[in-house]
Amino acid sequence: MKRFLGIVVALLIVGVAAYFWLNRTDASEGTAPVIVGAPAAADVLARGEYLTKAADCTACHTVPGSGKHFAGGVAFRLPFGTIYSSNITADADTGIGSWSDDDFVRAVREGIRKDGKRLYPAFPYTSYTQLSRPDVLAIKAYLSSLPKISQSTRPNDLGFPFNQRWAMGFWNAAFFKSQRFVADPSKSPQWNSGQYLATALGHCAECHTPRDVGFGLERRNELAGETLQGWRAYNITSDTAHGIGAWSDSDIASYLATGHADGRGSASGPMGEVVENSLQYLKPEDTAALVVYLRSVPAREGSDPISIDAHAAPVLASTDTAPGGDRTDANSAGLKLFEGACASCHQWNGKGQQTPYASLLGSRGVNDVSGTNVTQVILQGSKMRIDEHDVFMPAFAKAYSDTEVSTLANYVIAHFGNKVETVTPDVVAKRRQL
Amino acid sequence: MLSLSVNGESHSVDVPPDMPLLWVLRDVIGLTGTKFGCGIAQCGACTVHLDGQPVRSCVLAVGSIGSKAVTTIEAIGDTPSGQKIQQAWLDADVVQCGYCQSGQIMSATALLKRSPNPTDAEIDAAMSGNICRCATYVRIRAAIKQAATGKPEGMQTIVTAPEGAAS
Repeated sequence: MKRFLGIVVALLIVGVAAYFWLNRTDASEGTAPVIVGAPAAADVLARGEYLTKAADCTACHTVPGSGKHFAGGVAFRLPFGTIYSSNITADADTGIGSWSDDDFVRAVREGIRKDGKRLYPAFPYTSYTQLSRPDVLAIKAYLSSLPKISQSTRPNDLGFPFNQRWAMGFWNAAFFKSQRFVADPSKSPQWNSGQYLATALGHCAECHTPRDVGFGLERRNELAGETLQGWRAYNITSDTAHGIGAWSDSDIASYLATGHADGRGSASGPMGEVVENSLQYLKPEDTAALVVYLRSVPAREGSDPISIDAHAAPVLASTDTAPGGDRTDANSAGLKLFEGACASCHQWNGKGQQTPYASLLGSRGVNDVSGTNVTQVILQGSKMRIDEHDVFMPAFAKAYSDTEVSTLANYVIAHFGNKVETVTPDVVAKRRQL
Repeated sequence: MLSLSVNGESHSVDVPPDMPLLWVLRDVIGLTGTKFGCGIAQCGACTVHLDGQPVRSCVLAVGSIGSKAVTTIEAIGDTPSGQKIQQAWLDADVVQCGYCQSGQIMSATALLKRSPNPTDAEIDAAMSGNICRCATYVRIRAAIKQAATGKPEGMQTIVTAPEGAAS
């Protein structure tokens, strides 16, 4: 009995030691590479504003259209419940006005809030852990300079055991490593800047890297693509068939800066928000650094890889104004729907009339047989403000039934992607819920 | 200041570049023949021509037009196809309430210009983006065919009294 107790105590000690070892904090301040839009010599508020945009804080902390900047309340519907983002304005009672610099840095880089409770990794401290202390404090200074908004953070709607914040300590032990950015001297300064922009600030991996059963990022599949909140975040590795390896530098830069690259597609959904809120504000030098880094990401096929048919036969057989080349068994109901609601802007040859954003040929969406993003765009439409222009497509969720949406999505995939499509009304019904 | 070519005339307009062309036409230049329908490129009422191509002016940012020539319903009758279409519209008595008709005529004219003798399928494809609440579709199709061939289509004729009826 004594021996048994001894083993139990020994295991406990090992377990506790492992827990603390795996949850150890990187004590270094951290250094950042050169970010052209936020030079070290610049005014702290100007740096903070640029870094806040590069880190896309607003996407999660501002309810679109509410005008309440950084007051939180955005809902994240995850498989285990709904999480609401917090108020990060400088309001003392409901925001972070009473937080010290150390409190804020710990929250951003370690995922532990002022009261010592753990944050959920819906907040990407898993990426922000790489940020340098001066960069985090510049963001704090900028947030503190904005109007305070009194708005209590809505409690999360999570069931047991997910509502136990302390349990995130174990998740962190397994999936999180507190670690500052360290420049790789074997790579160019531009690459290092790009890596900091992509990983520490832009947190691309949070959407584009597949997650495992524990919802941790699969590092060995970095940026190979994932589906979340009903949208596919595509493979952005250097894979030439399934990633962006075949894109030119200017294709990638154009997509990042404007949300569109000719013959490659247009951003919408969550990526549209990223371009609107964040990427369009990057200085061209920073965008170029991001391109250099993305180019270096090892090629991976990812799951459900998408193969682009850039010369889809039905599209080549069509004109601006008339369809052609559809399979003889093509669904005529889908054609009719496209004819009435879509053709006047997208055109039968997918060139896009009025705006290049409406072009379809060569995009991943129309080449994805699951029709995930095509369905979402039909249901929700698309809205993005780039520079001084609105990019807009109306939403059809209320106009069309599940059967009509699936029929239309299937026509689009068959016609513009030249693929055998798989969208069913049941799938559309599920995607409506997301 | 933006310079716009509308119906062969040059206009200088002081408007933000993201203002839709329809607003510029109606509220700034004063050409009110082009109508606002849905505002989201779904009904076709606001159709105008940009270098001869039918476009939805309610979602077309004026800043993206550049030097392309804008043609509206006010001047479409000056083109051979537009003249034929408008005459056929009158002969067939297409118009009911009329609100969508400037858009219908612009789409039909563009069709006739690129396809002088369109088939039913071509007419359906070209005109399906233009919605008519009064359901004038049958007459629209007949009028387009008449404009193409010059021959009256088998359209409704007004019968003063049934044949054989007591007078």
